[in-house]
Amino acid sequence: MKDHSVDHTINLEHEQEQEQDSLHRILVPDVRDLPLTPPSAIESNFVSYFAPDFTKPGHDQYVYRHANGLCVIGLARTHVAFKDTSGITAVDFNVGKSDRSGIKVTGKRKKNAQHFESNSALCKVNTDDASYIVRCCVKGSLLEVNDRLIKQPGLLNSLADREGYIAIIMPKPADWLKVKGSLLGLEEYKKLREC
Amino acid sequence: MANANTNNTEAEHVSIDSEAAHVISAVEECHDDDDVGALHDVVQGLPSHAVKDLLSVGVCTRCILRLFGIRGNIYSISAISPSILNSVIGEQRHGEDISSNSKESEFEEVLCALCLGILQFTYCDDKEIPVKKESANDMAVAISELVKREGYQIDSFSLEVSVPPIILENEHSVRLYMKRKYGTEPWFQGGPFSQSISAKDALKFSLAKPLETLLDCKSGISNFRIGLTFSHKASKVVQSVAVSKQGCKRIKTGNSIDSLDDSVAGDIKCSDLADATVERSFDGLQDNESSECFKFPLQKVNDACHLVLLCQRTPIYFGGRYLKYSRNVSQTRWIIDDERMGEASVEEIIGSNIQPLCQGDNYKFHAAGREDIDVRMLGSGRPFLVEVQNAHRIPSEAFVREIETNINNLENKLVGVKNLKVVGIEGWTMMREGEAEKQYAALVWISRPLEDVDLDSISSLKDMQILQGTPIRVLHRRSPLQREKIIHWMKIERIGGSSQYFLLHLCTQAGTYIKEFVHGDLGRTHPSIGSILGCRAEILQLDVTDVKMDCFLTE
Repeated sequence: MKDHSVDHTINLEHEQEQEQDSLHRILVPDVRDLPLTPPSAIESNFVSYFAPDFTKPGHDQYVYRHANGLCVIGLARTHVAFKDTSGITAVDFNVGKSDRSGIKVTGKRKKNAQHFESNSALCKVNTDDASYIVRCCVKGSLLEVNDRLIKQPGLLNSLADREGYIAIIMPKPADWLKVKGSLLGLEEYKKLREC
Repeated sequence: MANANTNNTEAEHVSIDSEAAHVISAVEECHDDDDVGALHDVVQGLPSHAVKDLLSVGVCTRCILRLFGIRGNIYSISAISPSILNSVIGEQRHGEDISSNSKESEFEEVLCALCLGILQFTYCDDKEIPVKKESANDMAVAISELVKREGYQIDSFSLEVSVPPIILENEHSVRLYMKRKYGTEPWFQGGPFSQSISAKDALKFSLAKPLETLLDCKSGISNFRIGLTFSHKASKVVQSVAVSKQGCKRIKTGNSIDSLDDSVAGDIKCSDLADATVERSFDGLQDNESSECFKFPLQKVNDACHLVLLCQRTPIYFGGRYLKYSRNVSQTRWIIDDERMGEASVEEIIGSNIQPLCQGDNYKFHAAGREDIDVRMLGSGRPFLVEVQNAHRIPSEAFVREIETNINNLENKLVGVKNLKVVGIEGWTMMREGEAEKQYAALVWISRPLEDVDLDSISSLKDMQILQGTPIRVLHRRSPLQREKIIHWMKIERIGGSSQYFLLHLCTQAGTYIKEFVHGDLGRTHPSIGSILGCRAEILQLDVTDVKMDCFLTE
């Protein structure tokens, strides 16, 4: 006599296997559709702008603007600080009137965020020979600074355009429109710096 | 046959509309002789002088009955009229028979000073036209016609009545007056007045049985509510502040009067929080104090109450699991500046296939979590609830299966549905149950060729804790926080023909941002796939392959 409950279990398992197989087929992509090098997360989600010679010659900074309006500020590859052979050795957020790394922004409404002008100082980056002031470039509320740079200033040397970002600022829509005109797009910047 | 006079009276008393007459006689047949006999017995037992007193003050027959705490289906008997009480009064006063008879019949035309005509089935409809129904049954007919006109398919109903607060005020005045005048008499000591039925409940007693017959279903706890709201311009704001606070509260207790034994007495006595509060506030006043506050005799009223009849079904719920096959469909309707994001939404596809089949007023979509517009929802699917408001019809099981098939057979195959069925309130608790683990499949690219050792270093990580700063892409609308999340397990599946692309299968704690875990979000999520493998990692595609929850699974 056949045990029907065993049959039922086998049928169920078979069904589940079939489901798994068809699921798997949907998951695996066609390799021919895949680009050799895909766009990076930054390229896909941000529009890159550049502020060359910001308040001082050679002080090239970038502004990555997200579709939601937030701006990531950092040092462009052509920044004069990178010309020092020692590279960046230290980052200090204690500039201007307060230590920028000490501010705690809380809540959806971003309470306690400090408002800065585009030429307000964000931090100082030091090499063996000199130190350079990094500024906001964009007028707005300072949401966070990259305090990992304090312990790992070397991030700037290798990954200034990603993990070595300096800060995140939230400008008001009107303020962004005002500053946008003075920034360069990626192509213009490349042409200017011939890179 | 009898003389002409009697014939005319009889003709007037019976309703004109033949259909109604047929129904009336059908209803009256429901009342056994026991009921009518019981009515007569009850009436005989009432103290005649007190009854006469109340009649003279302008209280209608049903109000008199309810003040004495009489309960039950007898309220719907159309034979209730002042003439019934005559037998009580008449017997005591032989001499004044003829004259008191004619006086009594006048009261039928005057609005009851206590219930403002509510228990005389007299009211103004929503067009401000005065209506006087000859009997409880006539009023029940009007109600049942509304239910049928609006096309509700029902298998039960619950009656809800709301009356103007002045009625409670009046009742208190009457009770005080009666206590003061007859408090010492033996029949009062038994405490019949403390067993009084509220006007609301008397009306429900009147209408319940006829409605059950007309609508062919039972009254009691039901998701279909027939609401009768009476209001009156002259209704003053009652002294008690508590009433205005509590007046709008609704208790979800069933007002079951389908069984009329004493066990239900507790429900009926305090059927509404507003009433209970008003009663409490009245009880609290000293008898001496209140004599200044309340007027007696009661004010005569010339206008009937305004009645609003409203039929409503409480929301019904459809539960199931949905799948999303498209990377261009959002979960809910998403419109920015008059432009829709994506080509459709799961909410609209499912809701628009359910709501019309229930003939509901509108629907709400609830899901257990969500996924981005460009993320597919595959595998077992994600639990969801569709709440339909004021459904006029409730689809059968077979019909619900048809709805599921319709959605799954839509031409554009954007969304699928599994295990769709009507669920009760337990659907909510199932959805809310804890935070479920989720399983994903991500298409990942790394900046160097994949090595065998990588597969091991990834698989060996179990219940790994990561720290995620609020992703930049949502930082504009969420709190800046560091969130600890757990990655339960991970597995790399190589893709034939590629050295730098692979499928990453992973199972994580609820609330983990997967995309950021892969690319690191500029170092704000740590560890990340990139940091673990020591290179740059990018995510091209993400699919949810399992939502590990117990609800709405295939049985």
